[in-house]
Amino acid sequence: MNIYDAIFYLFAVVTGLSAFFVVTTRNIVYAAFFLLFTFFGVAGIYVLLGADFIAIVQLIIYVGGILILLLFGVMLTNKITSVQIKTGTLQIVPAAVGVGLFAGFLIAVLTYTEWKTVDTALPLTTTEFLGVMLLQEYLVVFELLGILLLIALIGAASIARR
Amino acid sequence: MENNYLIPYLLLAPFIGGVLVLFINKNKENLIRYFGLAVSLIVFIISLIIYFDFDNADGGFQFLYRFSWIENLNISFYVGVDGLSLLLVLLTTFLTPLTLLSSWSSIDKKVKEFTFFMLMLELGMLGVFVSLDMFLFYIFWEAMLIPMYFIIGIWGGKQRIYASIKFFIYTMFGSLLMLVAIIWLAVYASSSLGYFTTDLVELYKVGPTVPKTIQNYMFLAFAFSFAIKVPLFPLHTWLPDAHVEAPTAGSVILAGVLLKMGTYGLLRFCLPLFPQSSISFAPAISVLAVIGIIYGALVAMVQKDMKKLVAYSSVAHLGFVVLGIFAMNLEAVQGAVIQMINHGLSTGALFILVGVIYERTHTREISEYGGIAKIVPIYAFALLFASLSSVGLPGLNGFIGEFLILLGSFKSTVLNNIWFTVFAASGVIFAAVYLLWMYQRVAFGEVKNPMMNELKDMTKREMLVLLPIFVFIVWIGIYPSTFLKVSEKTVRNILEQVETPHKAELK
Amino acid sequence: MELSINYILNELNFIKPELVISISIVLIVFTDLIFDKRKQILPVISLISLLITGYFVIEQFGMNTFAIAPAGSKGMLAVDPFGAFFKMVVLFASFIIILFSINSSEIKLSSDRHGEYYTLIFGMILGMLFVISAADLILIYISLELLSLSSYVLAGFTKQSLRNSEASLKYLIYGGVSSGIMLFGISIIYGITGSTNLYEINSLIQAPQLPNITFILASILIFTGIGFKISAAPFHFWTPDVYEGAPIPITAYLSIASKAAGFALLIRFVKVTFIQSINTEGYWQLLNIIDWKTFVVLISILSMTLGNFAALWQNNLKRLLAYSSIAHAGYLLLGLAVLSNQGLLAIIIYFAIYAFMNLGAFLIVMLIANKTGSEDMDDYNGLGFTSPLLSVSLAIFFISLTGLPPTAGFIAKLYLFIALIDAEMITVAVIALLNTVVSLYYYVRVLKHLYLVKAEPDTPIIGVSALNTVLILMLLIPTLVFGIYFTPIVDFAKVSVSLLGF
Repeated sequence: MNIYDAIFYLFAVVTGLSAFFVVTTRNIVYAAFFLLFTFFGVAGIYVLLGADFIAIVQLIIYVGGILILLLFGVMLTNKITSVQIKTGTLQIVPAAVGVGLFAGFLIAVLTYTEWKTVDTALPLTTTEFLGVMLLQEYLVVFELLGILLLIALIGAASIARR
Repeated sequence: MENNYLIPYLLLAPFIGGVLVLFINKNKENLIRYFGLAVSLIVFIISLIIYFDFDNADGGFQFLYRFSWIENLNISFYVGVDGLSLLLVLLTTFLTPLTLLSSWSSIDKKVKEFTFFMLMLELGMLGVFVSLDMFLFYIFWEAMLIPMYFIIGIWGGKQRIYASIKFFIYTMFGSLLMLVAIIWLAVYASSSLGYFTTDLVELYKVGPTVPKTIQNYMFLAFAFSFAIKVPLFPLHTWLPDAHVEAPTAGSVILAGVLLKMGTYGLLRFCLPLFPQSSISFAPAISVLAVIGIIYGALVAMVQKDMKKLVAYSSVAHLGFVVLGIFAMNLEAVQGAVIQMINHGLSTGALFILVGVIYERTHTREISEYGGIAKIVPIYAFALLFASLSSVGLPGLNGFIGEFLILLGSFKSTVLNNIWFTVFAASGVIFAAVYLLWMYQRVAFGEVKNPMMNELKDMTKREMLVLLPIFVFIVWIGIYPSTFLKVSEKTVRNILEQVETPHKAELK
Repeated sequence: MELSINYILNELNFIKPELVISISIVLIVFTDLIFDKRKQILPVISLISLLITGYFVIEQFGMNTFAIAPAGSKGMLAVDPFGAFFKMVVLFASFIIILFSINSSEIKLSSDRHGEYYTLIFGMILGMLFVISAADLILIYISLELLSLSSYVLAGFTKQSLRNSEASLKYLIYGGVSSGIMLFGISIIYGITGSTNLYEINSLIQAPQLPNITFILASILIFTGIGFKISAAPFHFWTPDVYEGAPIPITAYLSIASKAAGFALLIRFVKVTFIQSINTEGYWQLLNIIDWKTFVVLISILSMTLGNFAALWQNNLKRLLAYSSIAHAGYLLLGLAVLSNQGLLAIIIYFAIYAFMNLGAFLIVMLIANKTGSEDMDDYNGLGFTSPLLSVSLAIFFISLTGLPPTAGFIAKLYLFIALIDAEMITVAVIALLNTVVSLYYYVRVLKHLYLVKAEPDTPIIGVSALNTVLILMLLIPTLVFGIYFTPIVDFAKVSVSLLGF
């Protein structure tokens, strides 16, 4: 186990644990803060994978943007902190069994599989490649994403209007 | 091949008539009634022309008309009649005007819709009998359910909704099985002929070559569908409900023609298409037929409702027909054909008579009546006449059919067991018991119900409805060969088609 | 590094329909802003742009090519008659739905948001057009998201009642989960093959393969996402609630267009990714990776049976049609289970006919609901005699949905049965048939309420405007005519069977 492995497991534990608390905590503000650690952990894993651009984007957009917005929303809304966000019917046992079985199956499959790997040196920076890919090979997808965002915006406006 | 347009006209007349009815103002009820009657009479006249032009010596299909319809599947609008279908076409065109006439006053609401549905029903029934293409046949077979559903459902009795849905689902279930078998056969034909076809005449050649196991499945699918329609015991449970709840016209058509479509299907499709299977299943089906004869008679005996009694008597009578068909010799099958006509006439007459009195008293309970012979003598005579015809009194039509069937089944090499005949013959006795007992309770004895003293006897219109039926009842009873000779050659052909592969197998 | 996007500029003529729709989105947004008071312009613009798109789609029946292919790869889109057919279904449904929307009292209530409404509809159309011809998993995912996102909002568009919001939220949650699962499946496939292009994946896995558990897992995960769109059991749980809660035009739209797009995607995914060869009779020889036949047959039997039996107890027409739509998804899947061009033909014919009859049924339900404000079956009592045109049409549409001759629905079932029996799947055919009998019961129940139950004095008389009469006839006449004479539809379907590469 070298240093990279150690860092990876550190981030993985941070991500997993904080995600667990996001779901289980009863206070919505705490949940939002735990979400921050989840995002942060994921960003760390991206860095380890050599995906520097995505890591930064993850930090800027999710941690810096979405989460802050979420917290603002929570704080500006009256009394939301006291709202019970847990539902009554949980069915913990069947859910745990089902999810456990599926997770076991997934882990077995994923460890057993021969993934397609390519031997290549990690590029120092991925930003340029990404930019070229998005504007060349995946231009149609990129443009479509633009429309998707427009539609999302209009949809949100439609929901928000009375 | 020269196209003959008579049969297309026969089908177009009720269709065009039915559509035109929709354009008549619905408040002019009498106009609608006269118009419907006129259309059905025109159809009857066309069928008479076909009858007089028909060549009895030729057993094959005549008056052929073919028009290429769906090229992709080699489906054509292919119609024609042979001796078997001609008789049933005549029965249909004969009964339809009479039923319209009989419901002149009993149907007093939504006359327009009623006339429309009756004409569409006639179109469907005629289509079933003249189709020489399985696809066309299937379309008529299914499409006919819709008008019948509405006739029972809208103009029927108290339980009409239940009865109509039951009728619909039962028959639909059977016919879908048949659809699968039709496609299976056509797909099979596409591997042996090289092209997909639903042409009946071509399938007659393909059917006997189908391997026995597959043939058995196809036979069962067809037979199941027809057995529901006949109805063969134990698939008869829809029949009493439908008959009892239907308005008189519906009951007459149901008993007179619709049930015949089942037996017609057995003769037209099951036997010639799947000869080997037909022979091996003949004893089993005959057992069911005989059970039907006895069961129908016994149940009819204990009915308190006149209409239900007649309905159960249909189960017994159709049992005779099925027994005759599966005895598979000339006498029996000819008897079955004539019995189909007989049942249409005598049961039709009985339903009309029940309808006539129901219209006056609004009850069908046998116990409510009694002694009406003194009050309404003409009616009592008519009821007696129809009952005796149904019983099978020598000299009237029922006797001829039942006698031929019993004779044929006795000699049958396919059944090869006289017990079928013995048990079936007992059914004749039961029939005498339940019908005459019913007649006795209704017509003779003391007048128990004071309301009955007010009864009016039959009107001229009602007599006009029954008279033609009675003429034919006597005609068939005295001189059946008028009708037998029409179907004789055809029946011989069918039997030959059944026996050829069978004999080849024995060698 | 140099950018070269010339290849896209050269191939823009392959995506003309998509371009027209994209431009229309912008146009609608601006029209809504500029002509703030004259909302009736919007449907007109929509209809015109649909017609133009339709013209370009018809052009595509003559094409059979990859589009938008950067150097060295196969191309993002496959433009072929198969795709063109499903695009036509989508456009036809959209055209009818916009006419529906003009009449719908539900949509009229929120007339201040018509701009959003039409934009979202066009967002859905764009998503569907891309889904239908996409040959790349990334594009498939993005366009599916575009489709879903628009439909989530549309399902809750009217905001008048609780059930409306419930529909929207349920749709969103189920949709989110299933698209997440699908994305996971896509990532696994990429992990194994290193490619996201269906055609490339197909050539990468051509080497003799043993059943590969990872690939099976990935395929099933992707199927989950598609199964959600076509509302096949067991991914159907959203259907009844969403169909009931959404405004009727949107319900009708989901039941036709969204389903058509899902089916096109499913067929393309299965056929392109897993095919090995096609024999002369048109049967597909699939790679020995996953047993699609058994899998699809199981799903389809489950969908049919569940849909039909659940429909028996429904009293709300929209819920009834929802379950019937689940059952029809089951019938349609049978066409895929045959794994032959014959089965594909059956699916195409089924869809062409299903579009008419199902839209028709929803139209009548909507017109009745406009007047009575209810879709409850008990409110249909006796309508047969007070409102003959509507009732006769509804009766014909329902008879056609059952599959009885002489309506077009029978032809749809006929070709399906022919395909099944030709493939010697007799047992499956019999199961489908038994299901049809079950379905007869609930369809006929509606007829019963219309005609057999006596009219009450307060049974409403529902008038039909001239426009609506035309609309009804537009859907009714094909439903009847194709039942009697279906050569044109079969010829059309035979052209449309051709899928790029096969």
